[in-house]
Amino acid sequence: MKHFFIAILSAFVFIPNAFAQEKALKAGDYFGDLRARHIGPALMSGRINDMEAHPTNPRIIYTGTAGGGVWKSNDGGATFNPIFDDYCQSIGAVEVDPNDPDNTIYVGTGETWPRNSVSIGDGLYKTTDGGNTWSKMGFENSERIANIIVNPNNSKEIYVAVLGALWSDSEERGVYKTTDGGETWENILYVDASTGCADMTMDPSNPNILYASMWEFRRTGWSFNSGGDKSALYKSTDAGKTWNKIHNGFPKGKLGRLAIAVAPSNPDVLYTVIEAEEDTKKGLYRSNDAGANWEQLNNDFGITVRPFYFSRITVDPKDENVVVKGGLSGSISRDGGKTFKNLGNMHSDIHDIIFDINNSDIMYSGTDGGVYRSWNGGTTFEIVENLPLSQFYHISVDDAEPYNVYGGLQDNGSWYGPSEAIGGVNARDWNSVGAGDGFRVLKHPTKSIIYSEMQGAENVWRIDTDKGLIKTIQPLPVEGYPKLRFNWNAPMAISVHQADRFYMGSQFLHKSDDMGDTWQIISPDLTTNDKTKQNQEDSGGLSMDNSGAENHTTIFTITESPLDEKVIWVGTDDGNVQVTQDGGKTWTNTTPNIEGLPANTWVYHIEASVHGKGTAYAVFDGHTKGDMKPYAFKTTDYGQTWTTIISDDVEIFARSIQEDFENENLLYLGTEFGLYITLDGGKHWSKFKNNMPSVAVHHLEIQKKTNDLVMGTHGRGVIIIDDISPLREITPEVLKQKLHFFDSEPFVMKDSGDGFGSSFGGETQFVGSNGPSGTLIKYILPKRHTFGKMTMEIQDIDGNKIMNLSPGKNKGINIVGWGNTIKNPKVAKGKTFSFGGFTSPRVPAGKYKAVIKKGRDTFEHVFEVINDKETGLSDADIAMKHEKTMKMYDMTQELAYMVYELDAYHQAVKDSNKKLASKLNSLKETLVVTTGDNYVGSAEPQLREKMADLYSKIADSYDKPSHAELESLKIIETRFEDAKADFAKLKKKAKKAEVSIKTFDEFVAE
Amino acid sequence: MRKITILLVAILSSAVFSNVSAQSVDEIINTYFENTGGIEAWKSIEGMKISAKANQGGMEIPVTIVQLKNGKQMTSVSFQGKEIKQGVFDGETLWSTNFMTQKAEKSDAESTANMKLQMGDFPDPFLDYEQKGYSAELIGKEDFNGTETYKVKLTRKPITIDGKEEENIAFYFFDTENFVPIAVQSEIKQGQAKGMISEITYSDYDEVEGGIYMPFTMTTGLKGQPGQAITMEKYELNPTVDDAEFEFPKEETTTEENEKN
Repeated sequence: MKHFFIAILSAFVFIPNAFAQEKALKAGDYFGDLRARHIGPALMSGRINDMEAHPTNPRIIYTGTAGGGVWKSNDGGATFNPIFDDYCQSIGAVEVDPNDPDNTIYVGTGETWPRNSVSIGDGLYKTTDGGNTWSKMGFENSERIANIIVNPNNSKEIYVAVLGALWSDSEERGVYKTTDGGETWENILYVDASTGCADMTMDPSNPNILYASMWEFRRTGWSFNSGGDKSALYKSTDAGKTWNKIHNGFPKGKLGRLAIAVAPSNPDVLYTVIEAEEDTKKGLYRSNDAGANWEQLNNDFGITVRPFYFSRITVDPKDENVVVKGGLSGSISRDGGKTFKNLGNMHSDIHDIIFDINNSDIMYSGTDGGVYRSWNGGTTFEIVENLPLSQFYHISVDDAEPYNVYGGLQDNGSWYGPSEAIGGVNARDWNSVGAGDGFRVLKHPTKSIIYSEMQGAENVWRIDTDKGLIKTIQPLPVEGYPKLRFNWNAPMAISVHQADRFYMGSQFLHKSDDMGDTWQIISPDLTTNDKTKQNQEDSGGLSMDNSGAENHTTIFTITESPLDEKVIWVGTDDGNVQVTQDGGKTWTNTTPNIEGLPANTWVYHIEASVHGKGTAYAVFDGHTKGDMKPYAFKTTDYGQTWTTIISDDVEIFARSIQEDFENENLLYLGTEFGLYITLDGGKHWSKFKNNMPSVAVHHLEIQKKTNDLVMGTHGRGVIIIDDISPLREITPEVLKQKLHFFDSEPFVMKDSGDGFGSSFGGETQFVGSNGPSGTLIKYILPKRHTFGKMTMEIQDIDGNKIMNLSPGKNKGINIVGWGNTIKNPKVAKGKTFSFGGFTSPRVPAGKYKAVIKKGRDTFEHVFEVINDKETGLSDADIAMKHEKTMKMYDMTQELAYMVYELDAYHQAVKDSNKKLASKLNSLKETLVVTTGDNYVGSAEPQLREKMADLYSKIADSYDKPSHAELESLKIIETRFEDAKADFAKLKKKAKKAEVSIKTFDEFVAE
Repeated sequence: MRKITILLVAILSSAVFSNVSAQSVDEIINTYFENTGGIEAWKSIEGMKISAKANQGGMEIPVTIVQLKNGKQMTSVSFQGKEIKQGVFDGETLWSTNFMTQKAEKSDAESTANMKLQMGDFPDPFLDYEQKGYSAELIGKEDFNGTETYKVKLTRKPITIDGKEEENIAFYFFDTENFVPIAVQSEIKQGQAKGMISEITYSDYDEVEGGIYMPFTMTTGLKGQPGQAITMEKYELNPTVDDAEFEFPKEETTTEENEKN
């Protein structure tokens, strides 16, 4: 019995420990100081879904973006800040509660202009503190929320228009209502599982009157349908209890997407835009009797174009006859909708427009290229310059220093820009290398050649960036082969084995060994060639929409093994993972070997491994079939067997994967809701959240020299995590240590890069941040240091202290930067500052120690700093520069001490010996500035200023001191010697005075 | 004894499986004060003088911070032996030294009025927070850079920014193990960074006089960016500070004029 009791007891005691022992190695516990940084670009911004004005404060504007979250402006749109980074970044609607507009905001996720590349939402969110904290209010399966309306008289009464799922049936559609502030919801208007609410509005004078347009729509990977018998415009006059169609005057037959707007200044005036069967019946309709009767007013191109993409109508809040319609260019009418003209120049594809609440001359427009403002009623527009919402489909990197990032954007062409630049990565640092929609952009491995493309490989450009020569090289139709089918986002690839090799995929794999001048087809049709998925000319529904975006049964990803050029992997949008081991002679479809993968799931990305010839990773994306689950598999035997590498930690579908080059168990996964990292080969994944929004990550690369993880996001531009190499070293053994320093390569003390980082335009432009510079000491703490002292200093190899640094205390990885300098010199006290004295001199190259004291423990790490070879200085030059710099450093401190002594003597004798005091004062006036200020009132420089300025001139230069500088040094030295002699004489005269003086060492250590 | 209390709290909190609902916001706040010296010791603090150093670009900048219970406060930074005072408040006037002229200049009326609203913050805004008219709410547990914390929302009196009243909210992250704040986040309300989130982190809690535990390291910056560290060298409790130190130096302008003439 006793033993039993003990057994029970020990079981209790030990079970938690046993759990602790086997605790999974989760990367997320140790990210610490690893931080994402955003480099944009913002100059072309990205797609906007919704604009929202604060109802009483014209300074405040919100924008809900297609892929980059919710942003708030406090300055009438001059600048914006993100307020929704932790959640789904695809936004349908933003609504400010008119009864509590400073605090209560609703966000409906899931964009509502459903082009082929749209993302998905995951519900409705609410904040009651102006966006600081958000809580989810349900609608997890809504996928897209088109509108949210809060009753202006009752905050608890809220209507939500759910457009619903794009690629599948869904019951969660239509209009929902709550009367208890969102605790319970009732679906008050529902048609069927394929018809959702596309637009909804409330009569501003009577919250019981509602209008809602229902839209039958569906997209597949290969087609789009807008319209059907179910689409209709409804009205309710009893707060949503009953709804009636209001179609009197509408065209007959099927209807497509319908917009609805009420004129705020006259609620009897309604506008709708109708997508109808007959082209002549499409367009703008107006009702002057609150929907009882309708009359068609206009069916210009600007009004009828692409209804699924452009449908928004906005009426001037002060004038019922001023109507604005979203569109390719956007249209405005000032005669009640009879005639329209285009809005002023801005990025095309206008999705939403709002007016300033007080002044209708001011308008805000949400486009495929960001937010624009007009100050003159829509005649001219200016772009908001700090919204980095660029939507990359793909990115790549080169090996320049700093390296460049290449990629293509939704509707915004192809670009490359530097990963770092002086003063940060500015709009002007980006270079345009392709028109139309941009997708993959690749740099030739050795030459100044860039490959880029536009949609459907209509053009593939080869750009010689040195000579400015451009040629199109896309594969053309070939005798004896059927019509080539290219994906909208057509794959291209280069080879690490043959620098001039270039691959492209249609349904065939095309190979060129001369940079695209000649092409060879090296595969059969690798897709399913399912003819039912090839009828794109029928796509669009009531409005034909054959943009090429729905091209299907195509190759989507190509990768050549970095270990063997004959091993090539190809993935298709209809689910085939094909591999050849003989350079294309024979191909094997390995998809049948994958267990647990639904048939025909889009192969989004294949990554051929550096860890084994037969090793590869494949990521599948089923979202265009309504399947939102993540799928990623690994093979080590050329696809004969595949193992899943996804865990329950991953919440949503993935598009891309990147393996680490050194640690095979370290993998990075790009999902629709952000980045995940695993340390154990996919058994456990952790979401990376340090400055990383929950944004769709379409492609990932690791830059091999810097070990930076570079992400192409579809809504927040390029995001970089600098140097992920510490993650490679995280093991259970390392975590048992109290503190573990990560290995480091010698750090180069860079002389370049301190140029003129102009901040021109930085007030309102987005500027991408640079990575950390200097020597970076990296270590891991298994637990945060919160209690007790923890200090860090840099010592020379003999243990002499050089500098105090502030160590990081985070659990996980800590990164502490050191500028490779000692402390700046102590400078003589004067009336004003001696700016040269703020310079800190650089240490000589060599080995140094980082010493951390934590509680009773001391941890040491030896590292090396080396000189920058770029300057061309010899070791002797550098030594001479250091010697002169330190000489002046010492002189500066000696002078500081002398002035301190002089002040002490002056203090001691000022009453007893006025003559001596006066002489001391006169001497002091030659040593330091004793009058004036730090700006235009500055006094004539004295010895201190001249000395410190020369010191900083020599110390800050990359070069060895010049002859003129050495001459100048001599003059200053002589003058200092004279001053010392003068002071010595004066000191003698004061020998009887009692002066208490610190030693030099005490003085400089203060 | 202190360590034992902390240990006990840690054990107790793990025994209840760290259930959020088991912790009320007042329990968290009370445990914080209990673990850092006891509520009585905190209430007896009349003032504090902190000597600190900030590392920046190869410089070690000495900083002195004085805060008194009556709301008077100042931060004094020393460059090349010159004292530059920033954020000096004597209960009525808020002023700082201009870097160019090294003369005192008054802050704008709104900043001064907002400062007055925060006079009761010392020594800790959570001390008797309800009496101050503040409210605190436990948002839940949140991971802060790998450490589990209780996220507590502190709402102070609304402030006025550019003519409009705005809420004054800060989020404190109390480490669930020790119940001390390790970070504070709040929205920046004015200036170029308006709308961005500021973040302060605390570490190196250690005992100062009177058995109080104070953080000896603090970093300030923007959320998601590396912060600027400041290291405390000494906390002096209930220091003697001449009231004149806080007063706007009326004479300085005239003296300066005379000197020039």
